[in-house]
Amino acid sequence: MKALLKNGRILDPSQDLDMVGNLVIEDDQVVAYGPDLKVKDVDEVYDCTGLWIAPGLVDPHVHFCEPGKEHKETISTGTQAAAAGGFTTVCMMPNTEPPLDNPALVDFILDRAASPEAGGVFVAPVGALTRGLLGREIADYAALKRAGIVAASDEGFPTQDSNVMLKAMEFCVQLDLPVLAHCEDTSLSVGGSINDGAISAMLGLKGIPRSAEEISVARNCILAAETGCRLHIMRVSTWGAVELVRQFKSLGAPITCEVTPQHFILTDEAVGEFDATCKMLPPLRTQVDIDIVVQALQDGTIDCIASDHSPHASHEVQAPFEEAPFGMVGLESVVGLTLTHLTNQGLLTPLQTIDKLSTAPATILRLDAGTLRLGETPVAQVTVIDPSLEWTFDVNKTFSKSKNTPFHGAKLRGKSVLTFCGSEIYRDAMFDNKRYRTVL
Amino acid sequence: MTQTRNLLGIRHLEPCDIETLVDLGREMKTRVLAGSNTLPDLSGNVVGMLFFENSTRTRVSFEQAAHYLKMKTASFAATGSSMSKGETLKDTILTLRYERLNGLVMRHKMSGTPVLAAKYFGGPVLNAGDGEHEHPTQALADALTVMERLGTLSGLRVAIVGDVLHSRVARSNAWLFSKMGSEVRFVGPRTLLPNHTAKLPGAIYYDLAAGIEEADVVICLRLQKERMEGAFISSVGEYAKLYQINRATLAYASKDCMVMHPGPINRGIELDDMAADGERSVITSQVENGVFVRMAGLYWAFGGEPFSKRSKAPKKAEVKSKGKVKE
Repeated sequence: MKALLKNGRILDPSQDLDMVGNLVIEDDQVVAYGPDLKVKDVDEVYDCTGLWIAPGLVDPHVHFCEPGKEHKETISTGTQAAAAGGFTTVCMMPNTEPPLDNPALVDFILDRAASPEAGGVFVAPVGALTRGLLGREIADYAALKRAGIVAASDEGFPTQDSNVMLKAMEFCVQLDLPVLAHCEDTSLSVGGSINDGAISAMLGLKGIPRSAEEISVARNCILAAETGCRLHIMRVSTWGAVELVRQFKSLGAPITCEVTPQHFILTDEAVGEFDATCKMLPPLRTQVDIDIVVQALQDGTIDCIASDHSPHASHEVQAPFEEAPFGMVGLESVVGLTLTHLTNQGLLTPLQTIDKLSTAPATILRLDAGTLRLGETPVAQVTVIDPSLEWTFDVNKTFSKSKNTPFHGAKLRGKSVLTFCGSEIYRDAMFDNKRYRTVL
Repeated sequence: MTQTRNLLGIRHLEPCDIETLVDLGREMKTRVLAGSNTLPDLSGNVVGMLFFENSTRTRVSFEQAAHYLKMKTASFAATGSSMSKGETLKDTILTLRYERLNGLVMRHKMSGTPVLAAKYFGGPVLNAGDGEHEHPTQALADALTVMERLGTLSGLRVAIVGDVLHSRVARSNAWLFSKMGSEVRFVGPRTLLPNHTAKLPGAIYYDLAAGIEEADVVICLRLQKERMEGAFISSVGEYAKLYQINRATLAYASKDCMVMHPGPINRGIELDDMAADGERSVITSQVENGVFVRMAGLYWAFGGEPFSKRSKAPKKAEVKSKGKVKE
């Protein structure tokens, strides 16, 4: 099978490549790309005029809830959502039930991801930082790495004990594993459900102060600088956290970080009258934070964009605000939100956008992804994006099992329309059929 | 179909709504004390009393109010409800809706819960106190009490003293008095006042003397002893020394200053006996007026109009089916 993606804008930040041309996928591999490429004997032609052809997107931070909470999401539904969102590789967080702290569970995840009913994207499991995510004893990183984890994380259960974190980092340095850190000092955040600010005071909700995040970011950066551990800070949300990352990066510490669309779009005012779909962790902050976060995306202090895809069943979200869980589903809205609020506003260039969504996360996690270079990914990983497609995000039409998002009904401009992971795994209904033909 | 309303908080009310509710409360009081048989008749309506948090005075006050209006009440408590078996709040509310309850009075330990209940119940919901958010009928009772003594809510200086951070009473009172033209001050230790007050209608004072200077109304808040382990204050004694309302500290306030407290009082801590029982205290009036403003709240939420708009004394309010809800 030979497919020709014709006349698209090829964007590959790994090569600083931005050109109009053709790309050929043959026998599940990218075999050629370039301007004025002469191609013979193709089976399928996709007219990509006006569209972007990019390396498959990489999400460094998703929750698929299997095993343990399959009512929210399974690996099958999660990977289908990923494919629909333009992602070809996703990093699955370890806070399942039970947590991903032993090799057998890693095998289970990889088997599920490779099963025929799954979405066809690569799942890169992230192992637990401590056994049971209890924050006391470090996990068997070597065995977990042999089984296939790409990083270790205390996601959902941030390690409070600095000595445990230090030892975890030391072991991870030895095994060349990055640590993905959930940065939260729980002694300051306990009981909180919203940013500590004017809105929390008005609504009578206990606030989570920015210091809860920043103290933890600072500690983890200090430990990373001390150990040399590759530290990736998940979901920065405050300008103070951004400044800390900037400072430690300037000192040469091996630190990277991510931000989610919700944290560069929404402020705590979105909570309105106790709207639990806007309950995030870290909480939605203020416009000042958003302004600094966007600047940091532009100048590279923030390396990448993650969905933090966190599915929750409707009955869990339709609960009193303080009882509702944190987070939102995001895999199928990330591209639209990022292009609408950043790229199409001129805040990120197209190449920067693809870097944040593909090349940078792949580089941080040392994944065989995020590039169009021939032979550098196990199979072709290519995403085609229509940057000017106007559409309305309807969460009821998504693949995710859960529907918790504040962006339902949002008018967006920009959408991933084709996803190839090997062969084509997803073609959006909004991809014009006239753009596709088979060659007999 | 009569338009029903929710009474979820003071923040969303227009000053004219507040005025209407206070006026209705005063009229209810007049008629009850006169032994009049011209009270609105809301018989045929069943109002659910959902108290998911311990309450005596508010629950009894609402039940008494419903009794005067000839409403039936159906009482629930968290421990005796399906929620103790794991049912979600939404399902509990939907059940009550389809069991054809006509309205709900709700107390819950979590802020915003009556907003959620209103969304799924679809009929009048009255907030009887939610978390640290609002307690609108307490504020209305306080407003009626102030009106009775001072004749106005406008141009007053109202100091709210104590644990503002955790107080739903403080928020509702702040909204009410500021909307009606008063100057509101929050007074207390830094640990018990919100850090960010840009969205709250009041100025912050850490010093009691400065905070209550020339105040016309001092509303003392209960110091919640159960929170003393949370490093909010060093000791109860220290708090009393700094923030107690007593003969000496009242000297800073206006000479006619009213002393209020939503109860229950920690005597000797927020107030000494002189302040609690003296001539400036209107604490018992607050309790008594609570019944009348809750009558007003029920009547208003069930679609009742100001009495002045009616040609004669109100009889049976035509509220049997759920109408459009005004948030």
